[in-house]
Amino acid sequence: MDVILSGLGQGFAVALQPFNLFLVLAGCFLGTLIGALPGIGPINGVAILLPIAYSLGFPPESALILLAGIYYGAEYGGRISSILLNVPGDAGAVMTTLDGSPMAKRGEAGRALSLSGVASFVGGSISIILMTLFAPMLAAFAVKFSPADYVALMVFAFLSLAALVGKSAVKTLLAAVIGLMIASIGVDANTGVMRFTLGSPDLMAGIDFLVIVIGLFGMAELLHLVESYARGTLKTLPVDKTFVSWADLFAVKWVMLRSSLLGFIVGVLPGTGASVASAVSYGTEKRLAGESGKSFGTGDIRGLAAPESANNASAGGAMVPMLTLGIPGSGTTAILLGALLLFNITPGPLLFEQKPEIAWGLIASMYIGNIALLIINLPLVGLFARLLTIPQQYLTPLITVLAFIGVYSVVGNPFDLYMVIGLGVLGWILRKLEFSLAPVILGVVLGNLFEDNLRRALSMSGGDWSILFQSVNSWALYGLAFAVVALPLVMRYFKRKRQASAV
Amino acid sequence: MADRIFAAITLLVVMAYGWAAFMLIKAPFQYDPLGPESWPRILSVVAGLCCLWIIFKPTVHEFDITKNSLVRIALMVGLLIGYAYLFEHMGFIIATALYCGASVKLLGGNVKQAVIFGVVTSVIGYLVSAKLLELNVPAGVFKNLI
Amino acid sequence: MKPLFLAATLAAALFTLPTLSVAATPEKPECVAPAKPGGGFDLTCRIIQTGMLEAKTLEAPMQVTFMPGGIGAVAYNLFNTTRTDDPNAVVAFSSGSLLNIATGKYGEWTEKDARWIATAGTDYGAVIVKADSPYKDLKGLMDALKADPSSVIVGAGGSVGSQDWMKAALLIKAVDADPKKMRYVAFDGGGESIAALLGGNIGVYTGDLAEMAAHLEAGTMRVLAVMHSDRLPAPFDKIPTAKEQGYDVQWAIIRGYYMGKKASDEAYNAWVELFKKSFESDAFNKVVKDKGLFELKLTGKEMEDYVMQDVAKLRTLATDMGLIEVKK
Repeated sequence: MDVILSGLGQGFAVALQPFNLFLVLAGCFLGTLIGALPGIGPINGVAILLPIAYSLGFPPESALILLAGIYYGAEYGGRISSILLNVPGDAGAVMTTLDGSPMAKRGEAGRALSLSGVASFVGGSISIILMTLFAPMLAAFAVKFSPADYVALMVFAFLSLAALVGKSAVKTLLAAVIGLMIASIGVDANTGVMRFTLGSPDLMAGIDFLVIVIGLFGMAELLHLVESYARGTLKTLPVDKTFVSWADLFAVKWVMLRSSLLGFIVGVLPGTGASVASAVSYGTEKRLAGESGKSFGTGDIRGLAAPESANNASAGGAMVPMLTLGIPGSGTTAILLGALLLFNITPGPLLFEQKPEIAWGLIASMYIGNIALLIINLPLVGLFARLLTIPQQYLTPLITVLAFIGVYSVVGNPFDLYMVIGLGVLGWILRKLEFSLAPVILGVVLGNLFEDNLRRALSMSGGDWSILFQSVNSWALYGLAFAVVALPLVMRYFKRKRQASAV
Repeated sequence: MADRIFAAITLLVVMAYGWAAFMLIKAPFQYDPLGPESWPRILSVVAGLCCLWIIFKPTVHEFDITKNSLVRIALMVGLLIGYAYLFEHMGFIIATALYCGASVKLLGGNVKQAVIFGVVTSVIGYLVSAKLLELNVPAGVFKNLI
Repeated sequence: MKPLFLAATLAAALFTLPTLSVAATPEKPECVAPAKPGGGFDLTCRIIQTGMLEAKTLEAPMQVTFMPGGIGAVAYNLFNTTRTDDPNAVVAFSSGSLLNIATGKYGEWTEKDARWIATAGTDYGAVIVKADSPYKDLKGLMDALKADPSSVIVGAGGSVGSQDWMKAALLIKAVDADPKKMRYVAFDGGGESIAALLGGNIGVYTGDLAEMAAHLEAGTMRVLAVMHSDRLPAPFDKIPTAKEQGYDVQWAIIRGYYMGKKASDEAYNAWVELFKKSFESDAFNKVVKDKGLFELKLTGKEMEDYVMQDVAKLRTLATDMGLIEVKK
């Protein structure tokens, strides 16, 4: 504990130097802007700005502090376009559209933005505190997590998401399977065999997740707006001055806490990140809400707070294996690891001994960054919400331009622009036929993780299926999965009994 | 009817997918008993059954759309394809100016609004994304000027 | 001493300049990384972007652009069609790209469809176990594999037929066992593989040497052998080669650059000269080292010969191991 406190003290001494403080703020602001662009999330934000940070010639701790600010800022920014435009800002913000966008459409954009800002802050802060206290222990847990355990985690994820069933169970299932089928396109990760690529090199690496998200959500939303215009039902929203209330925050306090913990743990595990974290926490909260969970998806503040706490918490969690073991567990941390290496700093068990000013400086700057983001973001809520007062004839093409910039600058392959349009048409048709799009996206996110890890586990055991039921972690997750399914039923049973006895 | 048509088309795609999974995909050798083909096979069967179910018990009968909307949607998709094509071949500025101008017209703006919006969005968009944020957007025909 | 040396190299550079003026430097140099930002190809491009600037062989930083898609196939395709005669752009490649060419993953295009310019540097395969592993040296591991190829779980960051898998398969072949009989687990990249090794989920990781630099000092993992003919410079000088332990298994992961097949000789030579000049600069070599690569300086004809031989070798290997079906 003393080591942690003195380390943190040293870290804050570095991070609170005026110049570094300025860099955190600049990074947070820039990160929020870049994260608000549809499609460009923390991974690409950091990757794009890394060379600039390097070329400015700052000392390593300052440059890293700037990058950490951008990383955090982009994580915050992702929610903005999810809520305002119904276009996810990045992979982790897909679930945010489900309740965030309906809130904006009924004139509560300000409330949604500020509430999600606070949820992000809670998630981010909890994860940094957990990281500071338990990093080495958690890292040991993360590496022990075997492919078989990932299979159990995916079973848990799928079952908690069964809560997303919309009007028709068959349609929800079909939507999820369509997502799984899209994910199976490309080189098979186990045997290197091409699947469903039709001989096109553009499909070899599969369809980028970003392309799917922008296409199914962004372009479909665009076509929906055009249709509403043609019908004459399109109206520009008035300026809304709504803001989050203490009552709102009080109502979601346990949701934020649970989702932060869940998101953090999912983030610590290598290979799973913000998208899995937010999806699982959303599904779990909907389940736990029982009967009242019916309002999820129509602008329920719990459905907004859960994924936003979880995705920010997972961002902090992902730093654990990178800083303590030198293992990048996610795309973003791989880039941050690259950034560290660029400055001749090798993360790992010895980082905290050899370069404490950098390790602790980075951690301290995350504390500061989180607070800074809350302070930057809350006053800007009104400004961002005004975006919706732009007349639709301008807002609609703007969505396209932003989406194209996002897809092109990240994926860089013109083929994907056509792909986005094609998926947009598919998404629009699915929406018209009352399919919900979230299961498609979740199929894409979870599909490869499930298949790859199942096959990894089976190749480890030489084809013996019992490997799936051998570890404590697996059993714990199967237990949780069972609880998530069974709890609402049990609760309903007791409720009915109580009502019956009351009568 | 709408559901049935959609499910029938999807079923055709799923059948093609399933055909590839059952007939084509095969690894030279593999270390897991499932191989690259089992998972897609399962998916194709499940998806196929879902499609059949929808064909027999559809929930959405009318594809609720007017001719006017359909025309505009088609125009918009055409515009988007044109935008993608020009984006690649003529660069961000020209493509964006043309696309934004045309969209404003399509969504009921007048010529003046279209021109102003097109020019402003393309230039500011380019400056912010390419210069301020250093994103990778195609300069196109202005490559040697900027 | 140092300034004097610098002056001498500068003078030497100036002196050789007139003979080089035949081949002008590329006008708008560009390096295409055929992947998304942040990966190995990005790094390969950054080496010449920073290296040539610091070596002062280029005045302005060259542009780095990204062209992801199909494990490099999209870029290979494009530089065989629309940009085949582009004099200004080079594309990064690695041994992995050559393996893809050898196994036909780039479709109709072969190694003869590009002009290979130069290398950036190289890395070498390494056999890695956890610090508390029962295998103290390569022989211990190899004996176990010989007795039963499925007794040790081998894991690495690539699918069957990838470079990482090749390394494992070559090891198994060195004890005359069948690669199909081993237990191999494909992870998504080096990071996940190292996590699996540290967590005890796999027994051996056939990875790359340079990424071990960070972990050597920490003492959490042990490198049993490096897959190269000679020992490498510090901090890797204590690691024995596979060869000196009696198993001649070698695997180099080279990184380099190519341009389109129809690029003019003039443009090609300009790039070759640019690389030759840069290779002479200490500043350039330092950048190569800082980015975790070992020196390997091949240019021009030498480079093309190397690529031709390597692809031919890989093709034989892949056919031997049953990765390529022999066409009937």
